[in-house]
Amino acid sequence: MVTALARGLKDKEVVIMGAFSALPMLASRVAQLTHAPNLTFICGGSGAVNPVLEPLPYSSCDDRLLKAECIYPLPDVIDLEARPEIDVFFAGGLQIDAKGSCNLVGIGEPGQLKLRGPGSVGLPFLSRARRFIIYSMAHNTRNFVPEVDFISGPGFIDQEVLSSGPSMVVTPLCVMDFENKKMRLKSLHPRVTVEMVTENTGFDLIIPSDVGETPLPTQEELMHMRRIDPMGAARDSVQ
Amino acid sequence: MAREEKVIGVDEAVERFVQDGCVLGVGGMHMHNNAMAVIREIIRQKKRIKRLVTSPSACTNADMLIGAGLVEEIYCSYVGFEHLGLALNFRKFAESGQLRVRECDEAFSVYSLRGGASSLPFHPLPKGLETTSVPKLNQEDYKVTKDPFTGEDVLCVRSVQPDVSIVHCQKADAYGNAIFEGSKFTDFDMIKASDKVILQVEEVVPNEYVLQKSHRIDVPGMLVDAIIDAPFGCHPTASHKYYTYDEDHLKEYLKASKEDFSVYLDKYVYGIKTNEDYLEVIGGREKATQLMERDIPW
Repeated sequence: MVTALARGLKDKEVVIMGAFSALPMLASRVAQLTHAPNLTFICGGSGAVNPVLEPLPYSSCDDRLLKAECIYPLPDVIDLEARPEIDVFFAGGLQIDAKGSCNLVGIGEPGQLKLRGPGSVGLPFLSRARRFIIYSMAHNTRNFVPEVDFISGPGFIDQEVLSSGPSMVVTPLCVMDFENKKMRLKSLHPRVTVEMVTENTGFDLIIPSDVGETPLPTQEELMHMRRIDPMGAARDSVQ
Repeated sequence: MAREEKVIGVDEAVERFVQDGCVLGVGGMHMHNNAMAVIREIIRQKKRIKRLVTSPSACTNADMLIGAGLVEEIYCSYVGFEHLGLALNFRKFAESGQLRVRECDEAFSVYSLRGGASSLPFHPLPKGLETTSVPKLNQEDYKVTKDPFTGEDVLCVRSVQPDVSIVHCQKADAYGNAIFEGSKFTDFDMIKASDKVILQVEEVVPNEYVLQKSHRIDVPGMLVDAIIDAPFGCHPTASHKYYTYDEDHLKEYLKASKEDFSVYLDKYVYGIKTNEDYLEVIGGREKATQLMERDIPW
């Protein structure tokens, strides 16, 4: 998952992530150390710009992120999100739908939630990021749903927004992208079949004829991941 | 006439500055810099909170007050425990209707406090944020008006000015001149927006220390009403550059909030009188050393 996310980032991009983000933090650092040395990444609430991640922490506001090039106060980070100066926003949710909208409000009807979620935090700013990448720690029919109960972060919705929308989805099973604003299977992680993905997705995923295998991490990527994340924070994030 | 020193006991600070039925701000973000020594005292004194205001991401600072049954409503952008899971008191009280949730997002949390800090009547938001469910779920605090310059619709949030805010930072002198040694989160805007500010600190430093570092002072003392000298006062959350969060304790907290939270409150809040007693109950010097001594990169 980490290298799939890392390879989704381009050199010179400005990348931001929010809560519970060990995976995107590690992916951004690996990208910097391999193909994207001019990438800038900001760890949400801590305001850490380009933290060295020695080691990768579990929490997005951990003080071990303070070994960084700048600690930008959060209100100033919000200015960047609003301007908009962010190329890539990492997003996730309790529910993710076929059009790439994400929900952190909860599950159920307004006023009668079956599951009260934590809240939308920065996801509404997805509407202002140049594009966003969705990562999910689980892939099943409960979190990949036809339509989210609430929109915390808008994917391809009817209204026009600044963002070009979601570009990629990475889960423990596969990598997906979008075709005509609908989610499409792109590649399968090793030992995963198309059936495993479709059975665990709550909507009809577009299945192209040429689904490849997600490329394995290179020796260089593995070396960086092991050095940056000796505690296994990224691995522990995945259900 | 001598200059007033603001270091007072946590019991006195809560009695004097936290009124029943107040709008309360709590600083810190996720499991970092939560001013828990003051929050535990608010629970001991059973102060009722009309409305709770937090940074964009709250943790035990909100969840413990909610679990103690003291909070009527909350401006909610996020209450949770990141990799440790959902905030279960918050979840239980919100789902049962005992807690009124004023749904909001990070933009609300930041811009409403900025509006409050500058005494703006409201704060307009950048375009795009109106496309989510949040403004529809909270039409009290999000309103659409006309931009007087372009005539276009613009979504706005209510400005927020807490009656009193509880903020933690690492160092202050006795007059309230204060330093955040790590991330400041949205705490400075919260301080500026609030009528009264109780500042919990790891250590009180001499005024001379402040005078030597005035370009690094984050909060001028005039904005602070009381200083609480509470080493390890953020436990079980972290205090940046001093100690990390206590993951074992947070897991015990989450387990108790799933089963019977009153057991937790009896042991760690109601049954405790002083910060020193608290530090003994959580594991004394051994625990403190464990949370302070770690591989730190800076």
